[in-house]
Amino acid sequence: MTAVELAGVTKVFSSALLGSPFCALRDINLSIAEGEIVGLLGPNGSGKTTLLKIIMGLVAPTAGTCRVFGRPGHYAETRSSVGYLSESPEFYPFLTGIELVRFFAGLAGLAGRVREARIKEAIALVGMETASARRVGTYSRGMKQRIGLAQALVTSPRLVILDEPTANLDPEGAADIGEIIRGIRTRGGTVLLSSHQLDQMENLCTRVVFLNRGSVVVSGTVDELVRSRCENTLVVEGLREADESELRGWLADRGARLLADPLARRERLEQVYLATAHRCRSEQREFP
Amino acid sequence: MPSGSRLVAIAGNTFQESARQRFLLLLALMAAMLGLAAWWFRNCSLVATQAKFLLDTGFGALTFFGAVLAIVATAESLSGEIERRTVLAVLAKPVWRGEFVLGKLAGILALLLAFCAVGTGLLVLLLWTASPQSVDSQAQEFAGGRCASLFAVIACGFVQWLRCGILAALTLLVSTYVRSSLLAVTTGFAALAICSLRALVWDAFRAAGPGWVGGAAGVIGLVVPDFELYDIADRVAAGGVLSASYLVGITLYSAVYVGLFVALAVYCFRHREL
Repeated sequence: MTAVELAGVTKVFSSALLGSPFCALRDINLSIAEGEIVGLLGPNGSGKTTLLKIIMGLVAPTAGTCRVFGRPGHYAETRSSVGYLSESPEFYPFLTGIELVRFFAGLAGLAGRVREARIKEAIALVGMETASARRVGTYSRGMKQRIGLAQALVTSPRLVILDEPTANLDPEGAADIGEIIRGIRTRGGTVLLSSHQLDQMENLCTRVVFLNRGSVVVSGTVDELVRSRCENTLVVEGLREADESELRGWLADRGARLLADPLARRERLEQVYLATAHRCRSEQREFP
Repeated sequence: MPSGSRLVAIAGNTFQESARQRFLLLLALMAAMLGLAAWWFRNCSLVATQAKFLLDTGFGALTFFGAVLAIVATAESLSGEIERRTVLAVLAKPVWRGEFVLGKLAGILALLLAFCAVGTGLLVLLLWTASPQSVDSQAQEFAGGRCASLFAVIACGFVQWLRCGILAALTLLVSTYVRSSLLAVTTGFAALAICSLRALVWDAFRAAGPGWVGGAAGVIGLVVPDFELYDIADRVAAGGVLSASYLVGITLYSAVYVGLFVALAVYCFRHREL
Protein backbone atom coordinates (compact mmCIF):
# COMPACT_ATOMS: atom_id res chain seq x y z
CA MET A 1 0.00 0.00 0.00
CA THR A 2 1.13 3.54 -0.67
CA ALA A 3 1.82 5.43 2.52
CA VAL A 4 2.23 8.88 0.98
CA GLU A 5 1.16 10.04 -2.46
CA LEU A 6 1.96 13.57 -3.60
CA ALA A 7 0.73 14.64 -7.02
CA GLY A 8 1.69 18.00 -8.52
CA VAL A 9 2.12 19.63 -5.12
CA THR A 10 2.99 23.29 -5.42
CA LYS A 11 3.19 25.77 -2.59
CA VAL A 12 3.39 29.48 -3.10
CA PHE A 13 3.56 31.66 0.00
CA SER A 14 1.93 34.96 -0.68
CA SER A 15 3.81 37.58 1.27
CA ALA A 16 2.17 40.42 3.08
CA LEU A 17 1.50 43.75 1.39
CA LEU A 18 4.05 44.60 -1.28
CA GLY A 19 6.37 41.58 -1.13
CA SER A 20 6.47 39.20 -4.06
CA PRO A 21 5.09 35.67 -3.66
CA PHE A 22 7.59 32.95 -2.84
CA CYS A 23 7.41 29.54 -4.48
CA ALA A 24 8.48 27.06 -1.77
CA LEU A 25 7.53 23.88 -3.68
CA ARG A 26 6.99 23.34 -7.34
CA ASP A 27 5.13 20.42 -8.88
CA ILE A 28 6.29 17.73 -6.45
CA ASN A 29 5.33 14.17 -7.40
CA LEU A 30 6.35 11.61 -4.85
CA SER A 31 5.11 8.21 -3.85
CA ILE A 32 6.28 6.42 -0.72
CA ALA A 33 5.41 2.76 -0.27
CA GLU A 34 4.70 1.27 3.14
CA GLY A 35 7.85 -0.03 4.82
CA GLU A 36 10.21 2.43 3.15
CA ILE A 37 12.60 4.79 4.91
CA VAL A 38 12.79 7.84 2.70
CA GLY A 39 15.22 10.65 3.37
CA LEU A 40 14.71 14.21 2.21
CA LEU A 41 17.94 15.98 1.40
CA GLY A 42 18.61 19.51 0.32
CA PRO A 43 20.14 22.78 1.39
CA ASN A 44 18.43 25.09 3.84
CA GLY A 45 15.35 26.68 2.30
CA SER A 46 14.92 23.94 -0.29
CA GLY A 47 11.37 23.18 0.87
CA LYS A 48 11.88 20.05 3.00
CA THR A 49 10.00 21.31 6.06
CA THR A 50 7.18 22.77 3.93
CA LEU A 51 6.78 19.42 2.19
CA LEU A 52 6.58 17.59 5.54
CA LYS A 53 4.06 20.14 6.85
CA ILE A 54 1.89 19.66 3.77
CA ILE A 55 1.86 15.91 4.37
CA MET A 56 0.87 16.59 7.99
CA GLY A 57 -1.91 18.95 6.90
CA LEU A 58 -0.30 21.87 8.75
CA VAL A 59 0.14 23.80 5.52
CA ALA A 60 -2.26 23.67 2.57
CA PRO A 61 -0.78 23.19 -0.90
CA THR A 62 -1.51 25.90 -3.44
CA ALA A 63 -1.99 23.23 -6.10
CA GLY A 64 -1.87 19.45 -6.24
CA THR A 65 -3.03 16.73 -3.89
CA CYS A 66 -1.54 14.96 -0.90
CA ARG A 67 -2.88 11.63 0.30
CA VAL A 68 -1.71 9.62 3.30
CA PHE A 69 -2.80 5.98 3.31
CA GLY A 70 -5.31 6.92 0.61
CA ARG A 71 -6.93 9.73 2.59
CA PRO A 72 -6.40 13.49 2.24
CA GLY A 73 -3.52 14.60 4.43
CA HIS A 74 -5.41 17.48 6.02
CA TYR A 75 -8.13 15.24 7.53
CA ALA A 76 -7.75 14.92 11.29
CA GLU A 77 -8.52 11.17 11.14
CA THR A 78 -5.61 10.66 8.75
CA ARG A 79 -3.22 11.76 11.46
CA SER A 80 -4.27 8.95 13.80
CA SER A 81 -1.84 6.71 11.90
CA VAL A 82 0.96 9.28 11.68
CA GLY A 83 3.58 10.36 14.20
CA TYR A 84 5.35 13.69 13.69
CA LEU A 85 8.37 15.36 15.19
CA SER A 86 8.98 18.91 14.04
CA GLU A 87 12.33 20.61 13.63
CA SER A 88 13.70 21.85 17.00
CA PRO A 89 10.49 20.90 18.79
CA GLU A 90 9.09 22.97 21.65
CA PHE A 91 6.68 21.65 24.26
CA TYR A 92 4.78 22.88 27.31
CA PRO A 93 7.53 23.64 29.84
CA PHE A 94 5.30 23.20 32.89
CA LEU A 95 4.55 19.52 32.18
CA THR A 96 6.87 16.71 33.16
CA GLY A 97 8.10 14.40 30.42
CA ILE A 98 5.61 11.67 31.32
CA GLU A 99 2.72 14.17 31.59
CA LEU A 100 3.61 15.51 28.17
CA VAL A 101 3.57 12.09 26.53
CA ARG A 102 0.32 11.30 28.38
CA PHE A 103 -1.26 14.52 27.07
CA PHE A 104 -0.38 13.68 23.47
CA ALA A 105 -1.42 10.05 23.91
CA GLY A 106 -4.80 11.31 25.14
CA LEU A 107 -5.17 13.57 22.11
CA ALA A 108 -4.48 10.56 19.91
CA GLY A 109 -7.36 8.72 21.57
CA LEU A 110 -5.44 6.34 23.83
CA ALA A 111 -6.93 5.74 27.24
CA GLY A 112 -6.66 3.55 30.31
CA ARG A 113 -4.08 0.82 30.77
CA VAL A 114 -3.20 0.67 27.08
CA ARG A 115 -2.23 4.33 27.22
CA GLU A 116 -0.09 3.91 30.33
CA ALA A 117 1.65 0.86 28.87
CA ARG A 118 2.38 2.67 25.60
CA ILE A 119 3.69 5.73 27.46
CA LYS A 120 6.15 3.62 29.43
CA GLU A 121 7.20 1.82 26.29
CA ALA A 122 7.74 5.04 24.30
CA ILE A 123 9.70 6.70 27.10
CA ALA A 124 11.89 3.64 27.51
CA LEU A 125 12.44 3.48 23.75
CA VAL A 126 13.95 6.98 23.68
CA GLY A 127 15.93 6.43 26.89
CA MET A 128 14.15 9.05 28.99
CA GLU A 129 13.04 6.90 31.96
CA THR A 130 15.11 8.75 34.54
CA ALA A 131 14.29 12.24 33.26
CA SER A 132 10.59 11.67 32.61
CA ALA A 133 9.61 12.96 36.07
CA ARG A 134 11.36 16.28 35.44
CA ARG A 135 9.64 19.29 33.89
CA VAL A 136 10.18 19.75 30.17
CA GLY A 137 11.30 23.33 30.86
CA THR A 138 14.47 21.95 32.44
CA TYR A 139 15.33 19.72 29.47
CA SER A 140 18.25 20.29 27.11
CA ARG A 141 17.51 20.52 23.40
CA GLY A 142 18.57 16.94 22.89
CA MET A 143 16.23 15.77 25.65
CA LYS A 144 13.36 17.72 24.09
CA GLN A 145 14.15 15.94 20.84
CA ARG A 146 13.95 12.58 22.60
CA ILE A 147 10.71 13.30 24.43
CA GLY A 148 9.33 14.67 21.16
CA LEU A 149 10.16 11.38 19.54
CA ALA A 150 8.41 9.57 22.41
CA GLN A 151 5.19 11.54 21.85
CA ALA A 152 5.43 10.85 18.11
CA LEU A 153 5.83 7.11 18.66
CA VAL A 154 3.42 6.63 21.58
CA THR A 155 0.57 5.61 19.28
CA SER A 156 2.72 3.11 17.32
CA PRO A 157 1.99 4.99 14.08
CA ARG A 158 2.23 3.37 10.65
CA LEU A 159 3.98 6.44 9.26
CA VAL A 160 6.55 8.48 11.15
CA ILE A 161 7.60 11.89 9.85
CA LEU A 162 10.74 13.32 11.39
CA ASP A 163 12.08 16.77 10.58
CA GLU A 164 15.78 16.76 11.41
CA PRO A 165 15.44 14.30 14.29
CA THR A 166 19.13 14.24 15.14
CA ALA A 167 19.78 17.97 14.84
CA ASN A 168 20.39 18.57 18.54
CA LEU A 169 21.74 15.20 19.55
CA ASP A 170 25.23 14.03 20.40
CA PRO A 171 26.67 11.18 18.26
CA GLU A 172 25.46 8.56 20.73
CA GLY A 173 21.96 10.05 20.73
CA ALA A 174 21.96 10.20 16.93
CA ALA A 175 22.94 6.52 16.79
CA ASP A 176 20.07 5.69 19.18
CA ILE A 177 17.62 7.52 16.93
CA GLY A 178 18.98 5.56 14.00
CA GLU A 179 18.25 2.32 15.84
CA ILE A 180 14.72 3.49 16.66
CA ILE A 181 14.11 4.31 12.99
CA ARG A 182 15.34 0.87 11.96
CA GLY A 183 13.03 -0.62 14.58
CA ILE A 184 10.05 1.21 13.08
CA ARG A 185 10.83 -0.32 9.72
CA THR A 186 11.30 -3.77 11.21
CA ARG A 187 7.74 -3.75 12.48
CA GLY A 188 6.45 -2.64 9.06
CA GLY A 189 6.29 1.09 9.63
CA THR A 190 7.22 3.80 7.15
CA VAL A 191 9.58 6.65 7.91
CA LEU A 192 10.00 9.94 6.09
CA LEU A 193 12.78 12.07 7.50
CA SER A 194 14.77 15.11 6.59
CA SER A 195 18.28 15.52 7.86
CA HIS A 196 21.65 17.00 7.14
CA GLN A 197 23.40 14.00 8.75
CA LEU A 198 24.39 12.39 5.47
CA ASP A 199 26.23 9.43 6.98
CA GLN A 200 23.12 8.49 8.90
CA MET A 201 20.85 9.01 5.90
CA GLU A 202 23.10 6.78 3.84
CA ASN A 203 22.96 4.01 6.41
CA LEU A 204 19.26 4.30 7.18
CA CYS A 205 17.35 5.25 4.06
CA THR A 206 16.08 2.89 1.45
CA ARG A 207 15.58 5.91 -0.81
CA VAL A 208 16.62 9.54 -0.81
CA VAL A 209 15.00 12.52 -2.49
CA PHE A 210 17.08 15.60 -3.15
CA LEU A 211 15.18 18.87 -3.12
CA ASN A 212 16.55 22.13 -4.35
CA ARG A 213 14.61 25.40 -4.47
CA GLY A 214 11.34 23.54 -4.18
CA SER A 215 11.87 20.90 -6.87
CA VAL A 216 12.97 17.29 -6.79
CA VAL A 217 16.31 17.24 -8.59
CA VAL A 218 17.48 13.71 -7.79
CA SER A 219 15.65 10.71 -6.40
CA GLY A 220 16.56 7.08 -5.97
CA THR A 221 18.12 4.52 -3.68
CA VAL A 222 21.48 5.37 -2.18
CA ASP A 223 23.10 2.64 -4.28
CA GLU A 224 21.58 3.99 -7.48
CA LEU A 225 22.79 7.50 -6.77
CA VAL A 226 26.26 6.35 -5.80
CA ARG A 227 26.54 4.05 -8.83
CA SER A 228 25.48 6.77 -11.22
CA ARG A 229 28.27 8.94 -9.93
CA CYS A 230 30.85 6.14 -10.15
CA GLU A 231 30.17 5.67 -13.87
CA ASN A 232 32.22 8.77 -14.54
CA THR A 233 35.25 7.45 -12.73
CA LEU A 234 38.35 6.72 -14.82
CA VAL A 235 41.21 4.54 -13.71
CA VAL A 236 44.33 5.64 -15.58
CA GLU A 237 47.15 3.24 -16.31
CA GLY A 238 50.62 3.88 -17.65
CA LEU A 239 50.68 7.56 -16.92
CA ARG A 240 54.17 9.04 -17.04
CA GLU A 241 55.27 10.71 -13.85
CA ALA A 242 56.16 13.87 -15.79
CA ASP A 243 52.60 14.18 -17.09
CA GLU A 244 50.88 13.42 -13.80
CA SER A 245 51.03 16.92 -12.32
CA GLU A 246 49.81 18.43 -15.58
CA LEU A 247 46.90 15.98 -15.68
CA ARG A 248 46.05 16.64 -12.05
CA GLY A 249 45.93 20.37 -12.76
CA TRP A 250 43.75 19.83 -15.85
CA LEU A 251 41.32 17.65 -13.89
CA ALA A 252 41.19 19.99 -10.94
CA ASP A 253 40.34 22.88 -13.26
CA ARG A 254 37.28 20.91 -14.39
CA GLY A 255 36.08 20.13 -10.89
CA ALA A 256 37.08 16.47 -10.89
CA ARG A 257 38.10 14.97 -7.57
CA LEU A 258 41.27 12.97 -7.35
CA LEU A 259 41.13 9.90 -5.19
CA ALA A 260 44.10 9.20 -2.95
CA ASP A 261 43.33 5.51 -2.94
CA PRO A 262 42.10 4.13 -6.27
CA LEU A 263 40.52 1.20 -4.47
CA ALA A 264 38.34 3.45 -2.34
CA ARG A 265 36.37 4.59 -5.35
CA ARG A 266 32.94 3.98 -3.96
CA GLU A 267 31.28 7.36 -3.56
CA ARG A 268 29.62 8.34 -0.34
CA LEU A 269 26.23 9.98 -0.20
CA GLU A 270 27.99 13.10 1.04
CA GLN A 271 29.82 13.41 -2.26
CA VAL A 272 26.59 12.89 -4.18
CA TYR A 273 24.96 15.58 -2.08
CA LEU A 274 27.76 18.07 -2.55
CA ALA A 275 28.00 17.42 -6.27
CA THR A 276 24.25 17.79 -6.74
CA ALA A 277 24.17 20.97 -4.70
CA HIS A 278 27.12 22.33 -6.67
CA ARG A 279 25.45 21.44 -9.97
CA CYS A 280 22.21 23.13 -8.89
CA ARG A 281 24.09 26.24 -7.86
CA SER A 282 25.99 26.42 -11.13
CA GLU A 283 22.79 25.94 -13.11
CA GLN A 284 21.23 28.73 -11.01
CA ARG A 285 17.83 27.09 -10.93
CA GLU A 286 15.34 29.87 -10.58
CA PHE A 287 11.62 29.44 -10.49
CA PRO A 288 8.95 32.01 -11.23
CA MET B 1 -16.84 16.02 15.03
CA PRO B 2 -15.33 17.36 18.25
CA SER B 3 -14.37 14.73 20.78
CA GLY B 4 -15.19 15.42 24.43
CA SER B 5 -12.00 13.88 25.77
CA ARG B 6 -9.78 15.90 23.42
CA LEU B 7 -11.65 19.12 24.27
CA VAL B 8 -11.23 18.44 27.97
CA ALA B 9 -7.54 17.62 27.50
CA ILE B 10 -6.87 20.84 25.55
CA ALA B 11 -8.99 22.95 27.92
CA GLY B 12 -7.28 21.45 30.98
CA ASN B 13 -3.87 22.06 29.49
CA THR B 14 -4.80 25.66 28.59
CA PHE B 15 -6.11 26.30 32.10
CA GLN B 16 -2.97 24.85 33.64
CA GLU B 17 -0.69 26.82 31.32
CA SER B 18 -2.52 30.12 31.87
CA ALA B 19 -2.88 29.66 35.63
CA ARG B 20 0.89 29.15 35.93
CA GLN B 21 1.77 32.45 34.34
CA ARG B 22 3.38 34.97 36.66
CA PHE B 23 1.28 37.63 34.99
CA LEU B 24 -1.89 36.07 36.41
CA LEU B 25 -0.37 36.01 39.88
CA LEU B 26 0.53 39.69 39.49
CA LEU B 27 -3.01 40.57 38.39
CA ALA B 28 -4.56 38.60 41.24
CA LEU B 29 -2.23 40.28 43.74
CA MET B 30 -3.03 43.74 42.40
CA ALA B 31 -6.78 43.03 42.48
CA ALA B 32 -6.51 41.70 46.03
CA MET B 33 -4.42 44.69 47.13
CA LEU B 34 -6.97 47.06 45.63
CA GLY B 35 -9.75 45.26 47.48
CA LEU B 36 -7.83 45.40 50.75
CA ALA B 37 -7.03 49.09 50.20
CA ALA B 38 -10.74 49.77 49.64
CA TRP B 39 -11.51 47.88 52.86
CA TRP B 40 -8.85 49.90 54.73
CA PHE B 41 -10.11 53.26 53.42
CA ARG B 42 -13.81 52.37 53.55
CA ASN B 43 -14.53 55.07 56.09
CA CYS B 44 -12.77 57.79 54.12
CA SER B 45 -15.45 58.10 51.45
CA LEU B 46 -17.50 61.22 51.94
CA VAL B 47 -20.23 60.47 49.46
CA ALA B 48 -20.78 56.73 49.64
CA THR B 49 -21.61 54.24 52.31
CA GLN B 50 -19.10 51.55 53.24
CA ALA B 51 -20.94 48.94 51.17
CA LYS B 52 -21.19 51.12 48.10
CA PHE B 53 -17.54 52.16 48.36
CA LEU B 54 -16.38 48.54 48.65
CA LEU B 55 -18.68 47.33 45.87
CA ASP B 56 -17.67 50.13 43.48
CA THR B 57 -13.98 49.48 44.06
CA GLY B 58 -14.34 45.70 44.10
CA PHE B 59 -16.32 45.43 40.90
CA GLY B 60 -14.13 48.08 39.26
CA ALA B 61 -11.10 45.93 40.02
CA LEU B 62 -12.87 42.77 38.89
CA THR B 63 -13.94 44.38 35.60
CA PHE B 64 -10.57 45.95 34.84
CA PHE B 65 -8.32 43.07 35.84
CA GLY B 66 -10.75 40.53 34.40
CA ALA B 67 -10.60 42.31 31.02
CA VAL B 68 -6.80 42.46 31.11
CA LEU B 69 -6.65 38.78 32.03
CA ALA B 70 -9.12 37.80 29.30
CA ILE B 71 -7.13 39.62 26.62
CA VAL B 72 -3.61 38.70 27.70
CA ALA B 73 -4.28 35.08 28.67
CA THR B 74 -6.18 34.39 25.44
CA ALA B 75 -3.60 36.05 23.20
CA GLU B 76 -0.78 34.28 24.98
CA SER B 77 -2.63 31.00 24.83
CA LEU B 78 -3.25 30.88 21.07
CA SER B 79 -0.86 33.35 19.41
CA GLY B 80 1.85 32.46 21.93
CA GLU B 81 1.41 28.78 21.19
CA ILE B 82 1.72 29.44 17.46
CA GLU B 83 4.80 31.61 18.05
CA ARG B 84 6.46 28.98 20.23
CA ARG B 85 5.44 26.27 17.72
CA THR B 86 4.03 24.02 20.45
CA VAL B 87 0.86 23.99 18.34
CA LEU B 88 2.58 21.83 15.71
CA ALA B 89 2.79 18.79 17.95
CA VAL B 90 -0.85 19.18 19.03
CA LEU B 91 -2.24 19.52 15.52
CA ALA B 92 -0.07 16.63 14.33
CA LYS B 93 -2.36 14.41 16.41
CA PRO B 94 -5.87 13.61 15.17
CA VAL B 95 -7.15 16.92 16.50
CA TRP B 96 -9.66 18.92 14.46
CA ARG B 97 -8.65 22.57 14.36
CA GLY B 98 -12.06 23.57 15.66
CA GLU B 99 -11.48 21.33 18.69
CA PHE B 100 -8.26 23.15 19.37
CA VAL B 101 -9.94 26.59 19.26
CA LEU B 102 -12.90 25.41 21.36
CA GLY B 103 -10.59 23.74 23.86
CA LYS B 104 -8.54 26.91 24.17
CA LEU B 105 -11.67 29.00 24.78
CA ALA B 106 -13.01 26.51 27.33
CA GLY B 107 -9.72 26.63 29.25
CA ILE B 108 -9.67 30.43 29.27
CA LEU B 109 -13.35 30.61 30.30
CA ALA B 110 -12.61 28.26 33.19
CA LEU B 111 -9.70 30.46 34.24
CA LEU B 112 -11.86 33.60 34.05
CA LEU B 113 -14.60 31.86 36.01
CA ALA B 114 -12.11 31.00 38.74
CA PHE B 115 -10.83 34.59 38.72
CA CYS B 116 -14.33 36.11 38.92
CA ALA B 117 -15.47 33.58 41.54
CA VAL B 118 -12.47 34.23 43.76
CA GLY B 119 -12.80 38.00 43.23
CA THR B 120 -16.52 37.98 44.05
CA GLY B 121 -15.94 35.72 47.05
CA LEU B 122 -13.23 38.06 48.32
CA LEU B 123 -15.56 41.01 47.84
CA VAL B 124 -18.35 39.33 49.82
CA LEU B 125 -15.83 38.53 52.53
CA LEU B 126 -14.64 42.15 52.64
CA LEU B 127 -18.22 43.42 52.81
CA TRP B 128 -19.03 41.02 55.58
CA THR B 129 -15.83 41.85 57.48
CA ALA B 130 -16.48 45.59 57.15
CA SER B 131 -19.97 45.20 58.47
CA PRO B 132 -21.95 41.95 58.57
CA GLN B 133 -25.10 43.97 57.91
CA SER B 134 -23.82 45.25 54.57
CA VAL B 135 -24.55 41.97 52.84
CA ASP B 136 -28.01 40.58 53.16
CA SER B 137 -28.82 37.07 52.16
CA GLN B 138 -32.39 38.15 51.43
CA ALA B 139 -33.02 39.67 48.04
CA GLN B 140 -34.56 42.91 49.10
CA GLU B 141 -34.05 46.48 48.11
CA PHE B 142 -32.45 48.93 50.46
CA ALA B 143 -32.68 52.64 50.00
CA GLY B 144 -29.51 54.71 50.15
CA GLY B 145 -27.16 51.78 49.48
CA ARG B 146 -26.76 50.76 53.09
CA CYS B 147 -26.42 47.13 52.09
CA ALA B 148 -26.42 44.93 49.03
CA SER B 149 -28.20 41.72 48.25
CA LEU B 150 -25.84 38.73 48.38
CA PHE B 151 -27.57 37.31 45.32
CA ALA B 152 -27.05 40.57 43.40
CA VAL B 153 -23.34 40.65 44.30
CA ILE B 154 -22.87 37.08 43.07
CA ALA B 155 -24.97 37.77 39.96
CA CYS B 156 -22.87 40.83 39.26
CA GLY B 157 -19.73 38.69 39.48
CA PHE B 158 -21.35 36.28 37.01
CA VAL B 159 -22.18 39.15 34.61
CA GLN B 160 -18.56 40.34 34.75
CA TRP B 161 -17.53 36.79 33.82
CA LEU B 162 -19.87 36.94 30.81
CA ARG B 163 -18.24 40.20 29.69
CA CYS B 164 -14.76 38.70 30.10
CA GLY B 165 -15.96 35.65 28.11
CA ILE B 166 -16.99 37.83 25.16
CA LEU B 167 -13.66 39.62 25.31
CA ALA B 168 -11.80 36.30 25.39
CA ALA B 169 -13.76 35.04 22.35
CA LEU B 170 -13.03 38.28 20.51
CA THR B 171 -9.32 38.08 21.32
CA LEU B 172 -9.33 34.43 20.27
CA LEU B 173 -10.73 35.48 16.90
CA VAL B 174 -8.01 38.10 16.52
CA SER B 175 -5.34 35.59 17.57
CA THR B 176 -6.31 33.19 14.80
CA TYR B 177 -5.02 35.49 12.09
CA VAL B 178 -2.46 37.90 13.59
CA ARG B 179 1.20 36.91 13.55
CA SER B 180 2.23 37.87 17.08
CA SER B 181 0.75 37.73 20.57
CA LEU B 182 1.66 41.40 21.11
CA LEU B 183 -0.49 42.40 18.14
CA ALA B 184 -3.31 40.20 19.47
CA VAL B 185 -3.09 41.93 22.88
CA THR B 186 -3.08 45.39 21.29
CA THR B 187 -6.05 44.56 19.06
CA GLY B 188 -7.84 43.02 22.06
CA PHE B 189 -7.53 46.26 24.02
CA ALA B 190 -8.72 48.24 20.98
CA ALA B 191 -11.73 45.90 20.79
CA LEU B 192 -12.38 46.46 24.51
CA ALA B 193 -12.41 50.22 23.91
CA ILE B 194 -14.76 49.88 20.93
CA CYS B 195 -17.13 47.57 22.84
CA SER B 196 -17.16 49.95 25.80
CA LEU B 197 -17.96 52.90 23.52
CA ARG B 198 -20.45 50.99 21.41
CA ALA B 199 -23.38 53.05 22.67
CA LEU B 200 -21.71 56.20 21.31
CA VAL B 201 -21.30 54.53 17.90
CA TRP B 202 -24.95 53.53 17.93
CA ASP B 203 -25.95 57.10 18.79
CA ALA B 204 -23.78 58.31 15.90
CA PHE B 205 -25.60 55.90 13.60
CA ARG B 206 -28.93 57.31 14.69
CA ALA B 207 -27.75 60.89 14.36
CA ALA B 208 -26.04 60.43 10.98
CA GLY B 209 -29.03 58.94 9.27
CA PRO B 210 -28.64 57.39 5.80
CA GLY B 211 -25.22 57.57 4.17
CA TRP B 212 -21.92 55.76 4.43
CA VAL B 213 -21.02 57.22 7.85
CA GLY B 214 -24.35 56.16 9.28
CA GLY B 215 -24.09 52.80 7.51
CA ALA B 216 -20.61 52.11 8.90
CA ALA B 217 -21.73 53.14 12.37
CA GLY B 218 -24.78 50.89 12.03
CA VAL B 219 -22.67 47.88 11.01
CA ILE B 220 -20.26 48.45 13.91
CA GLY B 221 -23.21 48.90 16.24
CA LEU B 222 -24.66 45.56 15.17
CA VAL B 223 -21.43 43.55 15.12
CA VAL B 224 -19.88 44.91 18.29
CA PRO B 225 -21.36 43.88 21.65
CA ASP B 226 -22.45 46.67 23.95
CA PHE B 227 -20.42 46.46 27.17
CA GLU B 228 -22.53 49.15 28.82
CA LEU B 229 -25.19 46.46 29.32
CA TYR B 230 -22.78 44.78 31.74
CA ASP B 231 -22.22 47.89 33.87
CA ILE B 232 -24.52 46.92 36.72
CA ALA B 233 -22.14 47.41 39.63
CA ASP B 234 -23.66 50.84 40.38
CA ARG B 235 -27.13 49.35 40.56
CA VAL B 236 -25.96 46.55 42.86
CA ALA B 237 -23.98 48.98 45.01
CA ALA B 238 -27.11 51.11 45.35
CA GLY B 239 -28.89 48.07 46.76
CA GLY B 240 -30.74 47.32 43.53
CA VAL B 241 -32.03 43.88 42.68
CA LEU B 242 -31.16 42.18 39.41
CA SER B 243 -34.18 40.71 37.71
CA ALA B 244 -34.19 37.17 36.40
CA SER B 245 -35.19 38.43 32.95
CA TYR B 246 -32.08 40.66 32.87
CA LEU B 247 -29.84 37.74 33.83
CA VAL B 248 -31.38 35.39 31.27
CA GLY B 249 -31.24 38.11 28.60
CA ILE B 250 -27.64 39.08 29.23
CA THR B 251 -26.61 35.40 29.29
CA LEU B 252 -28.25 34.78 25.91
CA TYR B 253 -26.83 38.02 24.51
CA SER B 254 -23.33 36.94 25.62
CA ALA B 255 -23.81 33.41 24.29
CA VAL B 256 -24.77 34.75 20.85
CA TYR B 257 -21.67 36.94 20.63
CA VAL B 258 -19.34 34.25 22.00
CA GLY B 259 -20.83 31.76 19.52
CA LEU B 260 -20.42 34.21 16.62
CA PHE B 261 -16.80 35.07 17.48
CA VAL B 262 -15.85 31.44 18.08
CA ALA B 263 -17.43 30.33 14.78
CA LEU B 264 -15.40 33.00 12.97
CA ALA B 265 -12.28 32.01 14.93
CA VAL B 266 -12.70 28.35 13.92
CA TYR B 267 -13.16 29.39 10.29
CA CYS B 268 -10.03 31.59 10.35
CA PHE B 269 -7.93 28.99 12.16
CA ARG B 270 -8.90 26.26 9.70
CA HIS B 271 -7.22 28.31 6.98
CA ARG B 272 -4.24 29.36 9.06
CA GLU B 273 -0.85 28.09 7.90
CA LEU B 274 1.40 26.98 10.71
